[in-house]
Amino acid sequence: MNKVAIVGSGQTKFSKDNKNIEELLFESSDKCLQSVHNCNSNDVQGVLVSTNDNSKYLGAILSETMGIEPQISHSIEHLCSSGTNAIISAYSYISSGLSDIILVSGAESATNPGQVLEWDKSRGMFEHPIYWASMLTKSHKRKFQTTDEELAIVSAKNHKQAMDNPFAYSNEPRTISEVMNSKQITEDLRILDCSRSCSGSSSILLASEEKAREISDQPIWIRGIGQKTISASFTKNTLEEIESTRIAANSAYKMAKIESKNIDVAEVHDAFSVCELMAISELGLVTNDKSGEFVRDLFNTENRMINPRGGLIGAGHPLGATGISQTIEITSQLQGKSDKRQISNANTGLIHNMSAAGTSSSIMVLEN
Amino acid sequence: MTFFDDQLKKGIFQICYCNNCNNTIWPPKEICHLCHNNSEWKKSENRGKIIEFSKKDSVYFGLVEIDENIRVLGDISSESLPKIGQAVKMSVSFDTRPKYSFIVENN
Repeated sequence: MNKVAIVGSGQTKFSKDNKNIEELLFESSDKCLQSVHNCNSNDVQGVLVSTNDNSKYLGAILSETMGIEPQISHSIEHLCSSGTNAIISAYSYISSGLSDIILVSGAESATNPGQVLEWDKSRGMFEHPIYWASMLTKSHKRKFQTTDEELAIVSAKNHKQAMDNPFAYSNEPRTISEVMNSKQITEDLRILDCSRSCSGSSSILLASEEKAREISDQPIWIRGIGQKTISASFTKNTLEEIESTRIAANSAYKMAKIESKNIDVAEVHDAFSVCELMAISELGLVTNDKSGEFVRDLFNTENRMINPRGGLIGAGHPLGATGISQTIEITSQLQGKSDKRQISNANTGLIHNMSAAGTSSSIMVLEN
Repeated sequence: MTFFDDQLKKGIFQICYCNNCNNTIWPPKEICHLCHNNSEWKKSENRGKIIEFSKKDSVYFGLVEIDENIRVLGDISSESLPKIGQAVKMSVSFDTRPKYSFIVENN
């Protein structure tokens, strides 16, 4: 298999602006191509679009507006992890030799239809994600004695880190007390424990090793990939674990020939506070019963190892763009270009993106 | 409207079952996901146990396991704080979506 590198990126600010999907895709794609020297529209052989939007033929529309006539173009939808799955598809096209340079663009409008999975009859009238998140939170508190304060620290930490992310939805600091006293959504969830669906777009350019060395001074390599889907319906999962994340992480570690202890920086899918605690455990960074303590320690020492761009809670969650934005952050960390968010000596980074209560997870390991 | 939804509307929770591989198909589907033979329907006994619960406003809701290890989210009526493992009785209906309601037994 050919090696695949990330060689360029572009993002819009995540917001509640009511832009249409085509405009959003174009805006970050244009920035993405401008970020790469010696590469223009004619060099791009593939255009993949990641979104939950109902608009059709977006791969072709984006190609036409960007002046690209690609060999490969189509859309990819996998709810909240559409973004990483689009990157994994682009990786596959390049590593197999079918393509050399692919643009992957993800976007969502503020009123996207990706919040609810109509097919899942097991959710009954409780179809919104806050209900499964309440079940996971209550169960985590019950099984691992996780406190409301430990959950609030996840949100306070990620809001704080998002302040240094110019593309984040939220640039407001939130104290632990503010999180704990924010509007109660259910007995186990506060509004500041929840990521916000918003509009935004992120794009990334992938290239084969030969092309990457021609057009980039600092390519970042995709070394490991893991994807696992357990089910689509929420009620197949046990509440105390995210099995899909554990399996996908192990696949990615094996492919990258690393262990969890080698991860210097990670973007994890904190759709709700409890998801960050569960994810870092399933990734093998800490045991479940110590996850609250681990995040408290990160917060107290201002260690940005987990979710340096602010995670979904701080940065916002435009579903189709999220996985791409996470990947852009880890790329920039490994290039040493994350300014105030920069982790020192970051050489190996991980992206964790998941869908529908963790029924499906995607993991990527990047190295510089 | 599917058979399952139509039956919910009549207050009946139908369990989709494959006689060939003795397996429940949930969410329901007329073709077994394991052997791809036609599945059959049998009525639920409408009893279950609470797996987990929370509360929104003044209404308890939670994950309940009914017959054949089927798990659904529904509202829970209880005069006191529900308990994990507590036995509940189910009633169902269908408007635009399935609705599952539970009442704690021996309340």
